[in-house]
Amino acid sequence: MFGGMFGGGAQKPAPSAGPMSSMAGAMNQNQMDPNAQLAAAEQEMEMVTDMFARLGELCNKKCLIQRYSDEELTKAESVCIDRCVTKYFHVNREVSDKLAKMSQANQ
Amino acid sequence: MYNNYGASYQEQRLQQMMEQKQLRDFMRMYTNLVARCFDDCVTDFTSNKLGDKELTCVSRCSIKNMKMNERVGQRFAEENAKLMEEQARLGR
Repeated sequence: MFGGMFGGGAQKPAPSAGPMSSMAGAMNQNQMDPNAQLAAAEQEMEMVTDMFARLGELCNKKCLIQRYSDEELTKAESVCIDRCVTKYFHVNREVSDKLAKMSQANQ
Repeated sequence: MYNNYGASYQEQRLQQMMEQKQLRDFMRMYTNLVARCFDDCVTDFTSNKLGDKELTCVSRCSIKNMKMNERVGQRFAEENAKLMEEQARLGR
C-alpha cells in the first residue's frame, strides 16, 4: 500500500551506512555502546525519511503538471522525476562536500 | 551503566521504529494527498456535493500522485544505494 522510500520492498537503506556515515565513521561503531548506536541509527533514519519527504514534495512541485487530464504519468513527467531525484542527490553530495571542506578549514 | 542488549534486541527496536515511521509517513502522505487534490480539483461552491468533473479530477489526482510517489520511491532507493556504495568505497 505504501510504496514509500523503501521502493516497494526493493531496497532497505541499512542504518550503518548512508548520508550520515561520514559522521558515524568518525566513531568506531563496534565500540559504541548499544544505546548510542540505536540513537545514531534512529537519527539516520529520521534524516533519510526527512530527505525523502522533501525530495518528494520538491520533485512533485517541479514536475507534476496540475491539469490531471489523465491518471497515468506522462513520459515527460516520468523523465522529469528520474532526473529530479538524481539531481537532488547530486546537490546533497555537493553540499556535504563543501560543508566538510569548510569545517576542515576552520580547524 | 548500560545493559548490554544483544544484537537481536537492537534489531527489534530498529524494526519497531521503522514500522512506526512508515505508518506515520503513510498518514502524512495520505493527508497531504487529500489536501492537494482538494486544492487542485474543488473549485465550485454553488453546491455542497462534488460535481462529476470534480470527482473525475479527484480520482485522477489521487492515482497520479500515488504513481508519482511510487516512482520517486524507486529512484530514491536506487540513488541511496549508489550513495551508500560510494561511501563504503571511500572508506567512510
